[in-house]
Amino acid sequence: MKRQTMQEAIVAGIAEEMRRDANVFIMGLDIGRFGGPLNSCKGLWEEFGTSGRVIDTPISEGSIVGAGVGAALAGKRPIVDIMFLEYLSLVIQQLGCDAGSMHYYSNGKARVPLVARAKYGVGPYHGHAYDYHSWLMQTPGVKIVVPATAYDAKGLMKAAIRDDNPVLFMEHMALYHGQRDTIPEEDYVVPLGRAQVKRGGCDATLVASGAMVRKALIAAQALAKDGIETEVIDLMSIVPLDEATIYDSVKKTGRALIVQETVCLGGSTAEIAALIAERAHKDLKAPVRRLGTSYVPMPFARSLEKLAVPDEAAIVAAVRQLVSDLPHPTSHEKMTS
Amino acid sequence: MSMEIAEARARVAEDRSVLRGMYEQMLLSREIDTLVGKVDSHWHACEGEEAVLAASYYGLRKDDFVVPHYRGMVAAACARGADLRALFAGLDPGGKTTSYSRGRYRSDICGPIEFNLIGLYSGALGPTLSYAAGAALAAKLDGRDAVTIAVFGDGTSSRGDFHEALNLAAVMKLPVVYVCQNNQFAISTPSARGVGARSVADRGIAYGIPGIAADGNDAIGLRAAIEVAVAWARHGEGPSLIEALTYRVAGHMVGDRAPYRSAEEVAQWRARDPIVQLRRHLLESQMLGVDEDNALVLGIRERVATAMAEAKADPDSGPEAFGADQVFAECVS
Repeated sequence: MKRQTMQEAIVAGIAEEMRRDANVFIMGLDIGRFGGPLNSCKGLWEEFGTSGRVIDTPISEGSIVGAGVGAALAGKRPIVDIMFLEYLSLVIQQLGCDAGSMHYYSNGKARVPLVARAKYGVGPYHGHAYDYHSWLMQTPGVKIVVPATAYDAKGLMKAAIRDDNPVLFMEHMALYHGQRDTIPEEDYVVPLGRAQVKRGGCDATLVASGAMVRKALIAAQALAKDGIETEVIDLMSIVPLDEATIYDSVKKTGRALIVQETVCLGGSTAEIAALIAERAHKDLKAPVRRLGTSYVPMPFARSLEKLAVPDEAAIVAAVRQLVSDLPHPTSHEKMTS
Repeated sequence: MSMEIAEARARVAEDRSVLRGMYEQMLLSREIDTLVGKVDSHWHACEGEEAVLAASYYGLRKDDFVVPHYRGMVAAACARGADLRALFAGLDPGGKTTSYSRGRYRSDICGPIEFNLIGLYSGALGPTLSYAAGAALAAKLDGRDAVTIAVFGDGTSSRGDFHEALNLAAVMKLPVVYVCQNNQFAISTPSARGVGARSVADRGIAYGIPGIAADGNDAIGLRAAIEVAVAWARHGEGPSLIEALTYRVAGHMVGDRAPYRSAEEVAQWRARDPIVQLRRHLLESQMLGVDEDNALVLGIRERVATAMAEAKADPDSGPEAFGADQVFAECVS
């Protein structure tokens, strides 16, 4: 057992998979001796550098991801580090449109086992915060993984590396060097495409991912003091989405709030809200609500940034509004449902 | 490299097996153009550019990768051993269940991956140049001596993807050969308005790799250049860039009457037909007899016609090929 941060756990997961499978290699900017921005690859060069499996590249996101796609088609299992999620704009063609379609278009002959790592998120590292993952939801065939804890991050990374599809792996910078988790010594994976219920509750469902999971849990604690029991779901994978876990929860609570660190318009919050409205309509006691960042380009000043990103208080307020939404939920009905 | 190419040219000029093989591929491409041009309104014909296709794709090893340009994709797939009927079944207006993609995608721009061929999985030109670098990287990491040949147009050479891929291949010394099929037009834009450099080959110097200008209508000379570049890559010397200067005698696609250029210009280039040039060499050097040649042409014509008739008769793709549950690969590892 070790106590590790998310950054340490992810690197440990990569190192384990590199030891397990000689086809796994990693390439990206400044990931060699420098160790990667925010230590995203710390120690990999020292262990694997001489084998040529830790590759420093020019600033060339398109060709880094592209070379990953080509190497994957030729039988390797590349991990490409595009540094920050804001550079997704530079690789949508390669990672999304092309890599996402290859398996289907080739009638199953092509496999693209490729993990694209990207840091993002509002936090102590000022800048590069943008969360653009929703863009990739529109290109079928790419998985999107977003861990909220160190334990899950390691298991999800190992699962992503073993997966035969292109995977976007999101690493939130506010979680990176934050809370430590107890990480077992033995090999484990956290399967892609499964959410987990982090906290049980019967009054409302909070669907969150990444750094919003912790905020949702803190909000849920505050709400519990007033007798509002909130169920908190950590998505972990956005594509494929664990719809069953969401519906099961909504069936129980009848109310759902989706919280993400992205703009709501046309994004994954909108998609999840639409799915609940379509598939769990009968169970809803109130309209589905969403909470995301304001519809502005992420501002720089901390004071403005704070205004753009939902905090615990905003989540509490949104849940309160949700449970007070009429007509259905009287306290009597809640007791008997 | 130019000394080696001159030596290679003399050798290739006498290599009956290679020249016959290339010649057959060029005839096949021309015949495909003739027939497919009549049925597929989207067809990008290759007339005048066949030497580039044959010199690039003929006779590679099974473990090599090819990353073809869309103009010549079907010819490349044939060179890799793909079945003509299945390729035709993937053309517009087909999309037959017998095609390699089972009707899910168009075969005119995307050949089958099972022949170590990376096609275009979208209409965006350029990203495939880095896929080629990646396939070459895989071989290098494995310590295999397989090479990758990537072919692209003069238009694509102006994309940032070209710069990124060649630069990456150069700094990583990857076993990849980049061949520019410079047919002098990006749809209607002449290369003079697309390429700021004196030539595409000149761009090689920017990456510290050999940039070779070759006559794209001279199958023998071009083949020599590509053979040298392939050997160079196979022996771990890294990437190179070959510019095969040719001319797009055909329109960009069926239906393009090309009003943006003169009939005289087209006629001049048509007179430099690469198939006619290679045929002359084969006949003069007695590597091919006239009767043999006639039989060859007829045989290929019949082969193409038969494949087309079969593909036409094949069933359209039905719901069983739709595969909404096959977007993601099941994991095997």
